[in-house]
Amino acid sequence: MATNKMDPADEPPPLLWGLDPVFSAFAKLYIRDILEMAESTQVPGIYFYNLHPIFKVDILGTVVYKRERDDFFCYGVDDGTGVINCLCWKNDLLKQHGKPSGWGKHSDDAEGDFNVAAELEKLQQFQYSQCHLDIGELLRVRGPVKTSRQQREIMASTYYKVNDPMMAVQIEWMMEVPELYRQCYDKPFKLHPDASGEPAMSTLSKATNIIRDFLKQKSVVRFRPYDVLDLLHPLVPEQPRTDSAGEPVAGPSACQQARQLLKEALQILQDEGIVYRKLKSQDEVYQVTIHDKDLLIAIKDIIREDCRREKYAEKGCHLLHILSAVRQRYSLNVSKAALELVLKSLECNSDIVSTSDNYYTMF
Amino acid sequence: MLPAAAAFCFPWEINSVEVEEGKSVRTFGRLVSYDWDESRASLWAQQGSTEHPVTINTAYVEPFDPIIGAQYLALGEVEKAESVGVMVRARVLTCVDGVNVALLQKAIAVQRSFFRERESS
Repeated sequence: MATNKMDPADEPPPLLWGLDPVFSAFAKLYIRDILEMAESTQVPGIYFYNLHPIFKVDILGTVVYKRERDDFFCYGVDDGTGVINCLCWKNDLLKQHGKPSGWGKHSDDAEGDFNVAAELEKLQQFQYSQCHLDIGELLRVRGPVKTSRQQREIMASTYYKVNDPMMAVQIEWMMEVPELYRQCYDKPFKLHPDASGEPAMSTLSKATNIIRDFLKQKSVVRFRPYDVLDLLHPLVPEQPRTDSAGEPVAGPSACQQARQLLKEALQILQDEGIVYRKLKSQDEVYQVTIHDKDLLIAIKDIIREDCRREKYAEKGCHLLHILSAVRQRYSLNVSKAALELVLKSLECNSDIVSTSDNYYTMF
Repeated sequence: MLPAAAAFCFPWEINSVEVEEGKSVRTFGRLVSYDWDESRASLWAQQGSTEHPVTINTAYVEPFDPIIGAQYLALGEVEKAESVGVMVRARVLTCVDGVNVALLQKAIAVQRSFFRERESS
């Protein structure tokens, strides 16, 4: 195991610790690993298991050592791999009274009578029994790891006796922990799955983003596919494709691939309503929806006129009503997504007002 | 001072040479006899068709209420005295009657195979 031989220079910077999900969890580590973890040289109280920053743990084990002080219990917990001291603070109740006296003095109360004082006492009694363990009993402790006087210990933030007469809890724990190690603690934490630091993205979504950014930056109003084809060339590998034997393989050329990619990307942009074709003709012209002044004016006119009609005066026009009117008066090819984009931008400019979900009016 | 960690040890492994004197172990078995004069209990565990006995010295855990025939879990140190043979001086002896022994054995095997896997990698 390389945990305690870690080079301090390998420590991940503290800024990144919080990004490791193990950091904010109570790690269910074996006690041996808790005892052997290397402590951070930068921040005391933080430990590293396999480069995972750890400061709080969750353990289950048999109490094999016990010491009681005024303020706390000190339990030695053994999980079969190691023994660690757990500092378990007494709450005020345990501290003041020690063992609460006078237990059972309400026992002769009439049955069925709900006595708050008696119930509270029962609760206290239960709490006492949960915190007061003897050697041989099973204890579960969660809390931060501390090193005091060169000894590692757990400062319990929660601790309780586990009632496990048939070892079901212990067996479950023994089965679960190796799985957690395999899936989580023993896997190194990698911040960047990709060497370049970019999230993995398909060529198609890259192509779509390139066109989208281009249209936005240049405030394009309308374009033809060959106007933007050049933008996609960097995404298509230039080298001729070869098979395993090194022979060139017949296949689509780079130009054809780029054209195909463009076609798919434009389809996505159309589906999103970012572009649309006013006329479906041989000449492929795409309108950029929110830069199409005529469309904006047409939609505003429709809303203004229809809201004067009695039927729509109060509530405004519904999205689908506007859509069918736009298709009748302006262009058959305006999609619902495109209309929604325009309505959103008109609303942002306070040209129109939405009265309720999907209803729009104009003053 | 804290005692040493007690790892699970199958009853049939305690008699083997690998388990040294003084080693802390936890083991389990069915209580078949208890001799309070000698502070000695006998646990039996089955592996396949053979029964394996483990002698437990109960001096540290007395008084205890023996339930003959029940499953017990013992945690303590191995002693190899010439006169009595191999014995576990129990620090903890708990009745765990009703435990799923097959599942417990599987859980021990799972844990061991994980440690082996980790050490070899």
